[in-house]
Amino acid sequence: MTKALVNKKNKENISKKILNIFKKKGFNFIDLDIVIDTDLLAQRSGEAFKKYALNFKDKSGKEISLRPDLTIATAIQYIQRKKKGTEKLSYFGSAFRLNKKGDLKVFDQIGCEIINSKSSPEYLILSTVLSVFNKFKKKQIILNHIGLFDNLINSLNLPERWKLRLIRHYSRKEYFEELLNRLDTNYDLDNEKIKIDYNRLGVLKKLDADKIIGGRKVAEIIERFEKKIKDPRDNFNGSRSVKIIKDFLKLKVPLKKSADIIKKFVEKNDLKIKNLNHVLLKLNNLNKKLGTKQDVIFDAKFGRETQYYTGLAFSICKQSIELARGGEYNNLIKTLGGKQSPAFGAAINLNQLI
Amino acid sequence: MNKIKIGLPSKGRLKDESIKLFSSKGLNIQNTNSRNYFFSFEENSNFDGIFLHAREIIERINDKTLDVGISGLDLLMELPDEYQNNVKILKKLNFGFADLVVAVPNDWLDVQNIADLEEVSFEFKEKYNRRMRVATKYPKLTEDFLLSRGVTEFKLVGSLGATESYPFTGSAELVSDITSTGSTLKENNLRIISDGKILKSSACLLVSKSFNIKSLSLFK
Repeated sequence: MTKALVNKKNKENISKKILNIFKKKGFNFIDLDIVIDTDLLAQRSGEAFKKYALNFKDKSGKEISLRPDLTIATAIQYIQRKKKGTEKLSYFGSAFRLNKKGDLKVFDQIGCEIINSKSSPEYLILSTVLSVFNKFKKKQIILNHIGLFDNLINSLNLPERWKLRLIRHYSRKEYFEELLNRLDTNYDLDNEKIKIDYNRLGVLKKLDADKIIGGRKVAEIIERFEKKIKDPRDNFNGSRSVKIIKDFLKLKVPLKKSADIIKKFVEKNDLKIKNLNHVLLKLNNLNKKLGTKQDVIFDAKFGRETQYYTGLAFSICKQSIELARGGEYNNLIKTLGGKQSPAFGAAINLNQLI
Repeated sequence: MNKIKIGLPSKGRLKDESIKLFSSKGLNIQNTNSRNYFFSFEENSNFDGIFLHAREIIERINDKTLDVGISGLDLLMELPDEYQNNVKILKKLNFGFADLVVAVPNDWLDVQNIADLEEVSFEFKEKYNRRMRVATKYPKLTEDFLLSRGVTEFKLVGSLGATESYPFTGSAELVSDITSTGSTLKENNLRIISDGKILKSSACLLVSKSFNIKSLSLFK
């Protein structure tokens, strides 16, 4: 047999075994669509995703993409199935992504997802995926809570516009750094421009408030303008906030110590973070459930590049190789056109297992 | 010795300025009539010339059927990156100046810079459940520019002309367009946002990468 054929057989055998594990844990297998409506994806992730998805046009000119991600494909199918109540789903297939050079990379994945669960699904997902790797020694779990970052930003003394900007662009590492630099130097202040804008406000106020200009109502333009000039753009301490953000993102500690260290960090910087106790409780609970045998690290930077994660996110690694990755994505289904539904899932990277 | 195959723009100011440039180097176009695409230089028989659309000139240099040509930097940069492996900019010329810019309706007084546009695009999506549309003849340059500035919530609308009208016909909310003086944008109630310059363009002397530049000594 050729090496490729051996690999294929191995992949099939391993897949069967993993899917059986998932089945025993109550996950139902679904077959996912290989092609996704590009517009639907762009509606969720913006135009940026097109850079790493393989896009085509069908005969009618409609743009379609090879699925770049199986969680998104699962969420789309969940919406199409129109089922109510908790769904425990598993899948197996390839995700197609372009790297920075534009070369196509194919990722074979097996995953499981819990959608619309009333109880906390994180431990069930984590323990299910971990059971696949029972025989693996020296594996490490890296864990983070993306929602904690959002709440940290919201606790800072910054204009609302800046908070939104930092949260929106958290997943885009390079641009996020650029934003921090701008915040540090107050780059976007331009009082001269504000003065000119303000002079023109009177003209706009005389127009019909419902008049549409370039797709936006006059009232909407005036409202945003007034909000913008009231923002304390030049009297907030950008440098202090930047330091807090940078220091927070450096936190990388064993999970068992993470709650205490985060608490101390918050106290030291005199922050009032919403839902902090809830997040710390989650981290402590996971620590207890996972036990002392696992090597678990809390890393405040982990998982940020996956745009749809909203809460806990984790990765299972052996040495530097990532075997599986998962997380909470409570807004994904809504942004794809479904109802707001809590969801948590993970995918095993089959290519790395082979 | 093989003749140098040269392409010049077939119409407009780019054509006139290109002809003037060669004349200033002592090379006058010899062309039997205005409908004839082919030309030569009275003083130098080493050239085989053809008048083509400025975009076509880049395509032909890319596939090596032309050695040299004059075209716009904007047109070259809009093509896939691979073109820049085959088409080399020998010299930026002193004509055909134009900027590719992002412009919004003049009455959007809350949008002065890209940071404002980024915010408005998110708000627009939340409010109307669709992305802001940007009408343009330059989808690649516009997309790269907006993404690099953090504006991700937009949709490009291809335009073949009269791009400035799109925000007022309901076909787009804003535009990115090429402008030399900004007067057409102004006349159509559009305003260039302060940090919205995508590209500063001019006419360029382009050569095929495999072409021996030494044989084009008159442009040194």
